[in-house]
Formats: sequence, structure tokens, C-alpha cells
Amino acid sequence: MTHFTKLLLATALALPMTARAEGVVEGIHHWVSESEVGALKVLTDNLATKGFTWQDSAVGGLSGANATQALRTRLAAGNPPATMQFLGYEGVEWEKEGALRSLNDLYAKNGWEAAIAPAILPFVKADDTYFAVPINMHRQNWLWVNKGLFDKYGIAEPKSWDDLIAAGKKLKENGVTAFALSDESWQILEVFEAILTDQNGTDFYKKAVMDLDPAALSGPEMLKAFDTLREVRGLVDDGFTGRDWAVATGMVASGQAAMQIMGDWAKGEFLAKGLKPGVDFLCFPTPAAVPNFKFVIDTFGTFNIDDANITAGQDAWVETVMDPENQKNFNMIKGSIPARIDVPVDGFDDCAKRSFADRDAAVKAGTMVGGLTEGFAAQPQFAGVFFDVVGQFFVTDMSSQEAVDMLVSGIDNAR
Amino acid sequence: MQKPISLKDRLAAWLPQLVLTPSILAVFVGVYLFIAWTAVISFSSSKMLPRYDFVGLEQYIRLWSTPRWITAVENLFLFTVLFLAITIAVGLFMAILLDQKVRAEGVLRAVYLYPMALSFIVTGTAWKWILNPSLGIQKVVNDLGWHSFVFDWITRPEFAIYCVVIAAVWQSTGFAMAIFLAGLRGIDNSIIKAAQIEGASLTRIYLSIIVPMLRPAFLSVIVLLSYISIKSFDLVLALTNAGPGSATEMPSTFMFSATFRRNQMGVGAASAMMMLMTVAAIIIPYLYSELKEDRNGH
Repeated sequence: MTHFTKLLLATALALPMTARAEGVVEGIHHWVSESEVGALKVLTDNLATKGFTWQDSAVGGLSGANATQALRTRLAAGNPPATMQFLGYEGVEWEKEGALRSLNDLYAKNGWEAAIAPAILPFVKADDTYFAVPINMHRQNWLWVNKGLFDKYGIAEPKSWDDLIAAGKKLKENGVTAFALSDESWQILEVFEAILTDQNGTDFYKKAVMDLDPAALSGPEMLKAFDTLREVRGLVDDGFTGRDWAVATGMVASGQAAMQIMGDWAKGEFLAKGLKPGVDFLCFPTPAAVPNFKFVIDTFGTFNIDDANITAGQDAWVETVMDPENQKNFNMIKGSIPARIDVPVDGFDDCAKRSFADRDAAVKAGTMVGGLTEGFAAQPQFAGVFFDVVGQFFVTDMSSQEAVDMLVSGIDNAR
Repeated sequence: MQKPISLKDRLAAWLPQLVLTPSILAVFVGVYLFIAWTAVISFSSSKMLPRYDFVGLEQYIRLWSTPRWITAVENLFLFTVLFLAITIAVGLFMAILLDQKVRAEGVLRAVYLYPMALSFIVTGTAWKWILNPSLGIQKVVNDLGWHSFVFDWITRPEFAIYCVVIAAVWQSTGFAMAIFLAGLRGIDNSIIKAAQIEGASLTRIYLSIIVPMLRPAFLSVIVLLSYISIKSFDLVLALTNAGPGSATEMPSTFMFSATFRRNQMGVGAASAMMMLMTVAAIIIPYLYSELKEDRNGH
């Protein structure tokens, strides 16, 4: 435990707990959109039946960065919330600081270890200690397609990136914007990491992105991925500056553009416009020789607070989150799939069913990996270098070799 | 024999100290203590959380070998020079025009000052749309029939920083104008009359007499605008979000993303210290010269 956290925890314990009412579970999270709030209500309603009231401390904005700031302030003031939503390595860092409760007893009692995919273990467990529970699983590597446009030009599901680029060129010749994309570097990185993994397999992805192996980072596979990204650049319209991802999804929904590569949160945008999967729009995994599954999960961790009432509330909350029925109802609204792999698929839509099937296959084949863009493959300081390089590569006429050189030196500098 | 000092007198003697102490304390803790803390962090290996060890200049070396930081520093200088020069030139010119006893001066002044009342977030968002080639100026001109017209600076990394300059100038020119106008009004008319009697032309009167007499107004404008340009964070975030491809990165946006989004608190603190030194390099000579003049009885 570092000096800083010792200080934090000391103040946390020294302060009187007058502000905490009995039977209340306070949680910080960054879910503020309509579907997110609706999904969270599934959990909080169920928590209420167990005799605990949910105290909502939502902090929206900046993809969760604001909520993280709020948490740091609360910890520094010695007043941590009962629970907090974690994205990426955030929970791991707090576990290292000794701020989180061990959930080993609850995991053992309920047999949760067998219910989650091994690939997500690094985000809920460190050194034999479980410190968080996962609620949902988004898939990052989806290709969203306007069905009308694909039918009109006779394009089938692409099976490789060569297919995909060829389909894009065909659309462009017919005056259709092939890809709805933006100059925001995270949207470009979603495309780039899909190319990188699809062309070279998840073993290469693990070596280059997760282990940051210098030979893999500067190898010919990287060069080829940048070459392919350059081809994608040619299939994007001129007005791509500052375009929000949801606006890009809207372009595919309305037929202004044919395709978008985006996580399955995009599905909510199609559904909100009254469109149906399989009828109006299609969802394909990004095309790979060996299919892979890029996950993005939300987890909840519980903070060390020396108060039996709070601990009881935390137990109830953690069990609520891991309840199979709750996971099903939560994810039907949120658009993701349950983090538990033993929840039956009935009642979900076609895209989610494909997600279930692909996940099972990926777990068996060992091709399930965390998404780099959303913070599940590399620590933020390294992911940041990927953002910078692909972002600059996409809007300038930098060569693939220059991009690779920049990537290697950037990663070295951040080590 | 000395008169005993009454309680009232004693209180009166202590009152200034009593009144000033809270604000001095607040400034000391809120500003100087945190500057010192940031300096400490910049010499440590801090990542997501502060860590109190000593790694020397490592974070500074890391900072200066980050290409994005170099871009940010270049952008800051380019932006500051252009922003100051254009805002001052246009603001002064407008102030001189408004000083010609025009009709409805009050209305015009309000119109020019109005952008200052907007937040930079609003300015940035509005200009983001105005400058977008498929939504804004370019589309309007194309739709009017001039199809070859191209104005796509915001999409081009080498020109995007000028878009930030345009939006910032639009926002701040009215403010510069108001200060210059106040300065112009403070100039004694008899000096101008005397110059006219001597046969000086209008241009000559402005260049040789009026503009030099506006020196205090110039100093205020320069200091206030430099400070706007160094803290230009919200405008960049709303207008370009430091893009395309980190082409419009500024030291302030760099500091924010390093500290709060990329778990590089040490690098962020080092960049904050570099910004502090830049500001100090501008402000200290200015303060020094002003204080020296005060002592000389100006």
C-alpha cells in the first residue's frame, strides 16, 4: 500500500460515519443515457426487494473520466462510495492500492468463477483476490451494415478485409459513402485494431498490443495493417471532421453511408429509430480468417468501509449484479450481453444471439481478447500512443513506415 | 508621559492584517502550495496516483521526447502571436472607427462586445459547424453556385490551428476594441487640436500621437489576451478536440489528457511546470518594469 492510500484510508476510518444512513448502498457510475438509466433500474429495483435503497451518484461525461475524478475526490476526502463502476484497468489500480474489499467469499459461495470467461479474469481478480463483479459484455468488433444498400449492389457478408475493401470500392464507384467514420482518434482506432487482429490473429494482437513486444510492433504485420487503414481512408466522405459516433451510426441507418465499424452500443441507435436487425440493418463480426471476440465490460467493485451496515449492503449489491435473471434483464435494455456465460440466449435479438454464439466459440478457441480502444488491452499511457498515431496517420499522408516508427518510439517513451 | 493605547486604537492597527489574513492564507494554500505540490509530482514517478519518490528530470525528458508536446508548444506560440496581433490590429481599428462620433455608437459597441459574453464552448461549437466543409461556409458558397470554392481548413492538420485563431479572434476582438475605445476617450482633445493646427495629417496624428499615448491600454490588452491564449482549453476542446490527429494540441489539453486520461500524472505535472515557467517568463519582466515605474513616481 502506498503512502497516499494509507493516508486516505486513515482519514476514511477516522471520520465519523454520521452521513451514512442504514440500509443504503451508494454507487458512483457514469450511466446517464436513457437506455443505461433504464438498465440500471433493473438492478436497483431488485436491490430494493432485498431491503436496501440505492443512492444514485451518477457522474456523466468524458467516457467515464469525470466519474473517475469524482471517485478520487471522494477517496481523498475519506468518504468512498459503497460501490463504483469500473472500466478497463481502473479497478485493478485501486486493488493495487488496497482500497477494495475482497469478494473471495462471495465468489466461492456462489461458484461465480465458473460463470465468467477466463479472458476477463485480469479485470476482476488480482493475485488470487477477486475485487469486482462484471455486469455486462459489449463486443467491440462489429460491422454495422445498411441492408438496403448491400442488397442493391449485391454485396454479401465480407469474409476478409480484402472483401470488405472491394465492397467499399464498389459502393464508392456507385456514389455511395462506404464507411461512416470520424476524425476522432478512438473511432479510427476501433477500425485499426479490428484490421490488426483480423489479419494476424489474436496471438499477434496479444504480443503486439498487450505485451508491447518491440519486434511485433515494428513487424511487417503492423505495416500491412496501416496500409489497409489507408485504403479505408479512401472510402470515407469529406465531412468526417468532429463527427460523433452516433451521428455516423445515423448515416448508416438512413442510408447515407453503407457501413460502420463500432461496438454494439451502436445497436441502440438503430433500434431507437425503429429499425430491425436482419430486416433494415445487419450486424457482422469484422471479417477475420479465424473469428475473434473483442470484449468491453463494466464491473462493480466495493470499497473497504468499516461499517457492518455498508458491508451488508455491498454484499446484497454484488449478489444483485451477479444474479443471472438480473444480468439478462439489464442487458436486454443496455444492448450488451450478460457477462455470465451461463445465461440462456432466449429473448435476445439476432445480433445479441450472434454475440453469444461467437463468444462461446471464442472462449473455446482462446480468441477472446479485450478491446484496446475501450481500455481492455493496454494501460492508458500505451493506448494513448496508439490513439495518437492512428489519428495522425488517418488525417495526414504519413506513410505506413513513418506510422510504425512513431508507434515504436512513442511506446518506448511511455514505458 | 505616553498616553495608554486604547483597545480601539489597537484594533484599528490590527484591522488590516485581520481582514487580509484569510485571503492571503487562501491564496497561499490554493495557489502556491499546489504549485509546490505540482513541482514535487513532476520530479516523481507518479502515474495514476501521486507517488512521493524522486526520479530527477525523467518526466521532463519524457515530456520533451513526446512529439505531441512539441506540437503543442509550437501551436501555443503560433496561436499566441497570431491571436494577439490580429485581435489588437482589428480591435484598435474598430475602436478608431467607432471614435469618429458615429451614430448609434452604443448599439454598435454592444454588438461588437457581445461575443465576449459567450463561453468558449459555445463559440467553439458554433465555429465547428461554420467551418465544417459539408455544413458551413463552404456548403453555402457551393450552393450559391460557386462549385469550385473550397474552405476546408478544419479538416487539414496543417491549417486547423488557424481555425482556432479565427474563432478566438472573433470572440475577443470586441473586448480589445472596448479597452482601446476607453483609452482613446481618455486622450485630451487639445493635443489633437494642437497637432491639427500644426498641420499634421490624420494618419500622422494617429501613428505619432494617439497610438503611443495608448500604451497603458496596449499593455492591458496584451496581458489579458496572452493569459486567454495560454489557458485556451475549452475553445480547442469544443472546436477541434485537439484534432485532426492532434494537430491543434495545446499545452493545456496535453496536460489534461496526460494527467487525467492517460495515467501519466508525472508527465502532466512536468508539462504544467513548463507552462508556469512560460507564463513567468512573460509576466515577471512586465511586473518588474511596471513596479520600477511606480517607484519612479509615474
